[in-house]
Amino acid sequence: MSEVPASVLVVDDEVQIRRFLRTGFELDGFQVHEAETGADALRVATLKPSDLVILDLGLPDMDGADVLERLRSWSSVPLIVLSVRGSEDEKVRLLELGADDYVVKPFGMAELLARAHSAMRRQLRAARGEPVIKFGPLSIDFAARAVSISDQRLTLTPKEYRLLQLLAQHSGNVVTHQFLLREIWGNEHVDDTHYLRIFVRKLRRKIEADPTQPRILLTELGVGYRLVASDPPVTQADAATQ
Amino acid sequence: MRLNSLLAVLRREIRGIAISLFYVAVTTAVAILLRHYVGILRGAILYLVPVMLAGYRLGVIPALVAAIAGVLLSGYLYFAQLYSFKVASPQEALNLVLFMVVAVVVSHLSSQAKQHITIARKREREMSDLYAFSRRLAAAPSAAEIFVAIQEHLAALVQRKVVLLGTSDAGSGEDVPESVRTAMTRVESDEGRERTVDDGKGNTWLIRRVSPRSPDFGLVAVDLGNVSGAPLAEMRQRIEDALADAAATLERLDVARALNEAKMRSETELLREALIGSVSHELRTPLASILGAATILHNAPALAKDDRLLALTAVVRDEAERLNIDIQNLLDATTISRQQVRPKLQWVEPVDIVNAALEHRRRRLAGYPVTLDLDSNLPIVHVDPAQVEQALVQMLDNAAKYSPAGSPIRVAARASGRTVMLSVRDCGAGLTHEEQRHVGSRFFRGPRHAATTSGSGLGLWIAKAFISANGGKVEVDSAGVGLGTTVSIHLPMSAEEIMPETEALDAEAMESAAE
Repeated sequence: MSEVPASVLVVDDEVQIRRFLRTGFELDGFQVHEAETGADALRVATLKPSDLVILDLGLPDMDGADVLERLRSWSSVPLIVLSVRGSEDEKVRLLELGADDYVVKPFGMAELLARAHSAMRRQLRAARGEPVIKFGPLSIDFAARAVSISDQRLTLTPKEYRLLQLLAQHSGNVVTHQFLLREIWGNEHVDDTHYLRIFVRKLRRKIEADPTQPRILLTELGVGYRLVASDPPVTQADAATQ
Repeated sequence: MRLNSLLAVLRREIRGIAISLFYVAVTTAVAILLRHYVGILRGAILYLVPVMLAGYRLGVIPALVAAIAGVLLSGYLYFAQLYSFKVASPQEALNLVLFMVVAVVVSHLSSQAKQHITIARKREREMSDLYAFSRRLAAAPSAAEIFVAIQEHLAALVQRKVVLLGTSDAGSGEDVPESVRTAMTRVESDEGRERTVDDGKGNTWLIRRVSPRSPDFGLVAVDLGNVSGAPLAEMRQRIEDALADAAATLERLDVARALNEAKMRSETELLREALIGSVSHELRTPLASILGAATILHNAPALAKDDRLLALTAVVRDEAERLNIDIQNLLDATTISRQQVRPKLQWVEPVDIVNAALEHRRRRLAGYPVTLDLDSNLPIVHVDPAQVEQALVQMLDNAAKYSPAGSPIRVAARASGRTVMLSVRDCGAGLTHEEQRHVGSRFFRGPRHAATTSGSGLGLWIAKAFISANGGKVEVDSAGVGLGTTVSIHLPMSAEEIMPETEALDAEAMESAAE
């Protein structure tokens, strides 16, 4: 962490949720701003620029997607959406609109912090232009377009490499099927999820020790994929026990 | 022929004729006495009395006989020479003719008056019977009451035996002639709507459905006695009217009740669903705060050194999670019973579903060694991944719930025929033969677990509903009590050939690699 504490804007209309998020983020060293409504959120975001935004979708005054769209029109601040289960379509829509990740309510603080740090790191890395990223035994050298696992060079087809590259650029955060399909196969194949399934299977055989128990290339069921550094990301409040 | 019918009429009327002649005889005696003591009267008019009496009480023919007898006797008694049948003058003859005419008219009128009165009385009685019957029908609280009313009303109508058959609450087994029984079974088996049959003792029975539209209302057999022709037709008509009235009431009663029940059921159902929906939503928001706060507390440095406090925060967190699962099940159940399960199909790696389900239940399964048997080369399936995962999660929950801690759970993903099979096998309580039949019904819980293991009886029902919505099926298998249970999801393999298409994609990829 830098000398100046990172700041987070928490947007939620439920006071109890804001309260625990405030405590959780403060314990993690953040400075916390709060907003109750969408309009409030946009106002606070301009007045007090934050390093991270936590956006609840169930706001009383505005659709969460509207808030996100307006925010994204002038800011690329890392943003995590608080969603509810069973709304995969909505999650995908918000990710497509530029949210970095989502957590499903109810969630554990550790899970949210993990997602938040990933999103912030990604932006930092994008700013610095890091040439090599490591995910456990996997290392990707963007400059040399070289991928190795435990220092052994892997042979990837261009599309496999492109898939891995796209995931690595969002390391730790979810990348939607639609985004991957569009980037790799083009707009007309945006619904052909079976392309992705097969390529992910091939890629896992090359980079995972046990392709049926992936540790690096994880599936977000119904939404997309996520490339993680080590252990699988925790769900619910799992990290609390670790 | 004419003579025959005349004789037949006379035979039928013989009693009336005898009585009318008796009237005439009495009148004659009175006339003789009057003549003797009071002197000669123009006494022919006296004979109008027996004619009127006979006409009123006995009918037209006895009255005519009385009139003829009266003419002859008055001629004998009053005209010209006394005590002779000779008519002396034209005036006397005219008098006798006039008498005859008056007598005939009077006899006819009085007989008609009597008939009218009789008919009017009969009508009145029938009307009041029918009215009483209608009132009784209208007030009848149950079909059984209506059947009793029908039976009694018809019995009163025909003054004979009436038997109702074919309804659970109607009288049966009474002594009914064999031929009538046979006819009843015929009518019952829908060979005809209505039939008459002779019982061998000269009585005609009418057999028909209570309602031609609703066989459920049963049959009625009415002993009409020894009738034929017009009276039979009239009797049938009256029975038909009475039954139509009764059937209408029966239908009204049943329809009204069915409507009532359906309305009440759907209102209760709607209310319950709305309640579940809103309660679930209202519970989730505070639950998110509780769970979030618990996870922060659990990681708080201030509590890190005190295991007892840490254990407490773990309790809060775990129970909040359990509550969340229960709420989720309620919401899923609501979705299912509203028939709003609409799978969003996409191509899914079967192993991904298994891993996601295991991930969601990682802590729940912590005390159970889970072994995996996952085929990495399964065909991808076209399903709603969230729904299939939720089904699998229910199976994992059940495996943990009905197994002792530490007992192994085996999760497999394999090809099985033309299906992809995801299965969860535990070494727990198992199922009795009886339980195996009922398991997966809504709210079913094995009675032997009711006291020891909490649960709603929704889990497997939810799993089955989700899987069947995705075109698959769920199988439950157990070797018996204490021998564990295996629950398997079978998902259809796609009929489309996905693999060759992706081989082509790969070739394209290799080409670009060679560039």
